[in-house]
Amino acid sequence: MAETLTRRTALGRLGAVGVAVATGALQRPAPAGAQAASATALGLQEPVQDALKRVFGGRPMKDGTALIKLDIPPIAENGAVVPVNVEVTAPMTPASYVKTIWIVADKNRIPIVAKATLTPESGQAFVGANIRLGETTDVRAVVEQSDGTLLMAKREVKVTVGGCGG
Amino acid sequence: MSDIGKIRIRVPSNVKAGDIVRVRCLVIHPMERIERDAQGKIIDRNYNYITRVTATYLGKPVAAFDLTQSVSENPAFSFALKATAPGPVKVTFVDTHGGKYERTEDIVFG
Repeated sequence: MAETLTRRTALGRLGAVGVAVATGALQRPAPAGAQAASATALGLQEPVQDALKRVFGGRPMKDGTALIKLDIPPIAENGAVVPVNVEVTAPMTPASYVKTIWIVADKNRIPIVAKATLTPESGQAFVGANIRLGETTDVRAVVEQSDGTLLMAKREVKVTVGGCGG
Repeated sequence: MSDIGKIRIRVPSNVKAGDIVRVRCLVIHPMERIERDAQGKIIDRNYNYITRVTATYLGKPVAAFDLTQSVSENPAFSFALKATAPGPVKVTFVDTHGGKYERTEDIVFG
């Protein structure tokens, strides 16, 4: 740029940056691929360790086997449809409730399967979904309570015919 | 595929006030998987799958799901809610092709 930096031009540029920040244009990192634009940052092709690190950071995760009831068939004949039910024995009051339940399938290409957000109106921390499993894998349920505590339970599912393909 | 977006919601009958009710819903949707070419490279296109499901009861949010392509074709979801009054349960699905599907089912007290 050949022009000299006067006070007026400098202020003008600062203003433009300010508008960009306010509209959120600078806050969102560019999506990795064209697909990612609509896919949110939830499901990426990555190993499960990276996925857990990305979603939960380094936050400590307690063993929640006693509280989380993970209901999955131990042997899934068809990996394309595996019913998963997660029930958490925890109060659902505005003061303390289960905020989020993640379902994670370790060996899937996209390990984060679903994220369920609950409210105290649910009355019971319960979600169910049909998921795909590519191969025999551990399935985890990670539960975040309203105070930020993370609990995790996992169970192995044997898959006879994988359902992820691709 | 004219059936895309067809939703079925099942609520139990004979509900009493204060009951915890489990609602099941199912949507007809292809939930396209990532495809690869012969070299194993991912074909980059906008796959059509559902990214968000929201459920409300009496206008208040009860549960919301954020989904990835690891969810089955014709996905089914269930969630719980505390029945406080007779009223509608509304479930909305949003997919990556801009489709928005919703259905309302009333909870009736027995």
